[in-house]
Amino acid sequence: MELMAKISFVIYALIILGGGLVAVTSQSLVRALVGLISTLLGVAGMYMLLATPFMAFMQILIYVGAVAVIVFFAVMLTRADEGGEEADPAPIRQSLGSLAAVAAVGGVLSWVLLTKPVQGLKVPVEVAVEELGKGLMESYFVAFELISVILLVAMSGAVLLAWERRVKK
Amino acid sequence: MSPLLLYQLVALLLLCLGIFGMTQRRSFVGMLISVELMLNGAGLSIVASSQLTEASAVLGQLGALLVMGLAAAEATLVLAIIVVVSRRFGTTKTSEVSTLKE
Repeated sequence: MELMAKISFVIYALIILGGGLVAVTSQSLVRALVGLISTLLGVAGMYMLLATPFMAFMQILIYVGAVAVIVFFAVMLTRADEGGEEADPAPIRQSLGSLAAVAAVGGVLSWVLLTKPVQGLKVPVEVAVEELGKGLMESYFVAFELISVILLVAMSGAVLLAWERRVKK
Repeated sequence: MSPLLLYQLVALLLLCLGIFGMTQRRSFVGMLISVELMLNGAGLSIVASSQLTEASAVLGQLGALLVMGLAAAEATLVLAIIVVVSRRFGTTKTSEVSTLKE
């Protein structure tokens, strides 16, 4: 059973790595989007391994279902793929700068992770969905309400931004 | 290597990929994709830390859920901004969307 968990962890990690590399290096934005979706599915698998099936479900519902469609609309509405804005490879100076940024952040964080390891539990805690619902309705009620306000504001703001031009015409 | 460390390393990998894409991409849509990668890493890190330590598991899962909600709101707004910018400038290249230089 433990071996199965390790094997699936490695498989999900490889999916995340491969999808992420496609997402950030692909010259076609539609391919980058497909890479992003496979990364999101890999992270959903990680959530399953962490014994949080509810989070895995939400990951697929919110990210793969909603955010991926929004990104695809962004590609479609700007015809970002047609002109090939990412078609020519990035200038070498920019790539070197990006690698330096990654090395700085990743170096510091992985140094902290590897030198000061936290001995966590072997087996993840299991929480029933009822407790999550109770938490949303009792302890973290304000955060729950605030996130709905934020979503409402973002949605109406987006509609307003996209509408303005049409009224002017 | 404890399981917690492995999950944190995967989250760090997502963060690094996101930073790389964010600094290297030359269009807004590519940068939006990179931001989503980074936010995913944050969510995975939060859930792993709460599930594999003594910290409150409910708090961790709900926190990651709120991160997902913020990511959805952010993606919506960025979509609107991209649409407005591409109407006004006719392109979404980051190098051409600038008026201060002129």
